[in-house]
Amino acid sequence: MSFQKRLASHEFAVLAEIHTPKGINISRLINDARRLKGRIDAVIVPDMENGIMRMSALAGGVLLQQQGVETIMHMYCRDRNRMALQGDALAAHVLGIQNIIVADSADMSESDHSDAQAVSDLNETDLIKALKTLQKGKDLSGFDLDGAPDFTIGCTLAPFSSDQELNQALEQARAKIEAGARYIITPPVFDIASCLPALEKIKTLGVPVIATVFLLKSLAIAQYIANSEPGANITDELIRRIRKSSDREQEGIAIAGENIIALKDKVQGVVIQTLGWEHKLPEILDVAGI
Amino acid sequence: MITAERKPLEELIEYIKPYKRILLLGCNECVTVCAAGGRKEVGLLASGLQMAMLKNGKNIEIQQHTLERQCDPEYVEELVQMIDGADAVMSMACGCGVQQVAMRYKDKPVFPAVNTKFMGASERQGVWAERCQGCGNCLLGATGGICPIARCAKQLMNGPCGGSVTGHCEISEDVDCAWQLIWDRLKALGQTERYLEIMPAKDWRPAGGSGPRKIIREDLAE
Repeated sequence: MSFQKRLASHEFAVLAEIHTPKGINISRLINDARRLKGRIDAVIVPDMENGIMRMSALAGGVLLQQQGVETIMHMYCRDRNRMALQGDALAAHVLGIQNIIVADSADMSESDHSDAQAVSDLNETDLIKALKTLQKGKDLSGFDLDGAPDFTIGCTLAPFSSDQELNQALEQARAKIEAGARYIITPPVFDIASCLPALEKIKTLGVPVIATVFLLKSLAIAQYIANSEPGANITDELIRRIRKSSDREQEGIAIAGENIIALKDKVQGVVIQTLGWEHKLPEILDVAGI
Repeated sequence: MITAERKPLEELIEYIKPYKRILLLGCNECVTVCAAGGRKEVGLLASGLQMAMLKNGKNIEIQQHTLERQCDPEYVEELVQMIDGADAVMSMACGCGVQQVAMRYKDKPVFPAVNTKFMGASERQGVWAERCQGCGNCLLGATGGICPIARCAKQLMNGPCGGSVTGHCEISEDVDCAWQLIWDRLKALGQTERYLEIMPAKDWRPAGGSGPRKIIREDLAE
């Protein structure tokens, strides 16, 4: 079943992120995706996430489509102006990609090319509107297209560490949904029980909510996120669980898998983020019974 | 100087429509020099607004005042005496002045009367042209005193491009090719070897790539 159909039928969707290489060696990308074939609904290909220059998501997405893996491509506004964004969207459609997530991007100062000039010609809501405009057979200047693309567009919810920030993030999300986003991806959720009230609030947006399950690769990463992102919901108990484990790597995999199970009847789907440990995705799915 | 152009009267009327008493503020600095928002322009705009409003059957009071420098809190403070007599402020200063007034008098709506354009120089009477983009890392020492960031349409660090024809930029015959100017100038200075040095891709960090910039002089800051 395609991701679009799964969304429409309100069935639980399982997605996973796979990053493109920083270089031209695509063997890991292809192998990691192949191992997921038939087990998940679609692979999300982020585009230069966290400001790291990599092979473009468009190329990565097309490579995965060629492997018979449904792809959801990230698009963001920092590095491309409205012409380049529209051109890439048209290219994505003809190359077989019909799912786009309009994502946030790290500030250029946090990127590995901090001396580059940011573009930010459009914002996320503008880009969603632009994609919808293309779907109507027009470009942003009102000129007719020779054939209109079709996309299922998703958006992301900004990270939040308080009710006030959540309300603000929801306000921004509403604008994106009004512009045409059909589902929303949450920031990583770690402690499901304490996240539930926020998830309920997010559901009031009226579109399918897909929660992000983040693989905690090590105790250090868990502690880092707990300290640097107060809204991330990494509890002391979770930190203790990883610390006490004789195999911390395996513990992180177990936590991710268990969280997927816990989220099954709470949200419309999950996206598993492993940030470079895509080869661990099958093990997470094993734990989750997928 | 910072250059500006007055906004169309119709736009200004839309801003002030809901108000009866307007404080119209000029600035004695850059906008006076480029004839956009000095004392004289304040007087002209006040008459224009009053006439336009009267035509619409509304009589408004316009108090005129021109500050020495609207971007300086010391001068903005002068308005304490007159701000209460106004329902709204319309500023003819550049964007810096408008914001300074808005920041100081938080309960008053402040509207811009000019469009702030660029940092430029006077070419001849009544003509101003862009000369600087405030990129934060001045290159003029390497480019013969001509700025390729502000004056080349492509901001080329190693120009010219193929669109440079008989000294003009391809975007318009009215625009000089900055790199032709740089070459001519380096030749006149006997420094053509500078032209042959390939300049690296520009580092945009000092240009504000990480957000709004600030200068803090520890020796002067209170």
